[in-house]
Amino acid sequence: MAGSRDVTVEVTVNGTPHTAEVPARTLLVHFLRDRLRLTGTHVGCDTTQCGACTVAMDGVAVKSCTVLAAQASGHEITTIEGLAADDSGDGLHPIQRAFQEEHGLQCGYCTPGMVMAIRQLLADNPDPTEAEVRHGLNGNICRCTGYQNIVAAALAAAAHLREA
Amino acid sequence: MFPADFGYTSARSLDEALDLLAAAQADGEEAKLLAGGQSLLPMMKLRLATPQTLVDIAGLTELTGVSNGDGTTIGALTTYRALARDPLVAGRLPAMTDALAVLADPQVRARGTIGGAVAHGDPAADLPAVLLALDAQVRITARSGSRVTPLDDFLQGVFATDLAEDEIVTAITLPPGAATGSAYEKFEQPASHLPLAGVCAAVTVENEVITSAKVAVTGVAGRPFRARHSERALVSAPAAADSIAVAAASVAEGVRPLSDQHASGPFRLHLAEVLTRRALTRALARARRPL
Repeated sequence: MAGSRDVTVEVTVNGTPHTAEVPARTLLVHFLRDRLRLTGTHVGCDTTQCGACTVAMDGVAVKSCTVLAAQASGHEITTIEGLAADDSGDGLHPIQRAFQEEHGLQCGYCTPGMVMAIRQLLADNPDPTEAEVRHGLNGNICRCTGYQNIVAAALAAAAHLREA
Repeated sequence: MFPADFGYTSARSLDEALDLLAAAQADGEEAKLLAGGQSLLPMMKLRLATPQTLVDIAGLTELTGVSNGDGTTIGALTTYRALARDPLVAGRLPAMTDALAVLADPQVRARGTIGGAVAHGDPAADLPAVLLALDAQVRITARSGSRVTPLDDFLQGVFATDLAEDEIVTAITLPPGAATGSAYEKFEQPASHLPLAGVCAAVTVENEVITSAKVAVTGVAGRPFRARHSERALVSAPAAADSIAVAAASVAEGVRPLSDQHASGPFRLHLAEVLTRRALTRALARARRPL
């Protein structure tokens, strides 16, 4: 077998550098959850469809169940735990606060991925229409809400962030 | 789900990647190139693919980006996201812009690459339909040298392409003038976002007569294909709804459609006809008002 079965991963997660030796087949989501104990990033479908595992890699939303930890080496990852600013007061990012205010979650399983996907959506398009929000979230699945309040939360967060 | 065990190397140069492929081939090992991994990793997790060696080429920045010279050259490692935001694509290649807005989802588009879309040989990939209609060529490199082949020859069947085990797709090139009126339309399977049928049309119109027409279809047959019957029906025809309807009716002439749990063959053929009408209608409107 050419190449190595174990790889050294050097990755910065939420601003903190980490170095670890892991099997090459380790997925980024498992590295985050099992090695770093950052369990806010969820494993949902495990087949690149539901988006519960969404994190930002070098500032761009990706599905961490479909990235090898080895591929993240040398890159910067932001998870839901690292989203809120240190001086946010309540420990929440405006998108998280909007989810609370708009009742954007029921069971909460999809929420971290939804929040991370909406962060990207609003970074690309700070003033989206409702249709653009719905289309922009087509990489994330929610089984509870019917999406209505998630879309409302995204639009509310967009308004908050534009005023900030 | 984990992929089966494999050996991993991150290539630091194209030469090193080619050497690693050649070494794996010499050792009788199956090696796979890893770029965005948005098709390969899901297949490996389901054990539909179990390569012994992965050669990660994502760091080869020389294979990224879009440039215009004699036509348009797109580096194989250019992501869908980067492509959609590139000024040489947005506004110039409307069918590609159409496809990049509806292909997979935003997170997958951030990682998936155009080279992967071509090399994977997925019968339902979106971009190959657009690239076929724009007469794309595939640039391929091996240690023994480089070659260029039309995408239409490169695609061979279900997950089958004309790419040897020691070769790497380095770029996709589009001929000059490829930016005529063009449009892409799809009907997707909602979970995978893959098209049950997808149609790209590219047309040129002079004095309300169609002077050139290219129509390509994905998701319907074992590989994306050019609808030559429709194209012949369109050239020299008036740029009108009747011409579109006639061309759409023959879009899958002689094609044996895919049939699976998501859509029957007859349904896919029906979709292909409807989507051909829609794509041609939008492409003609765009051809009359060049961007």
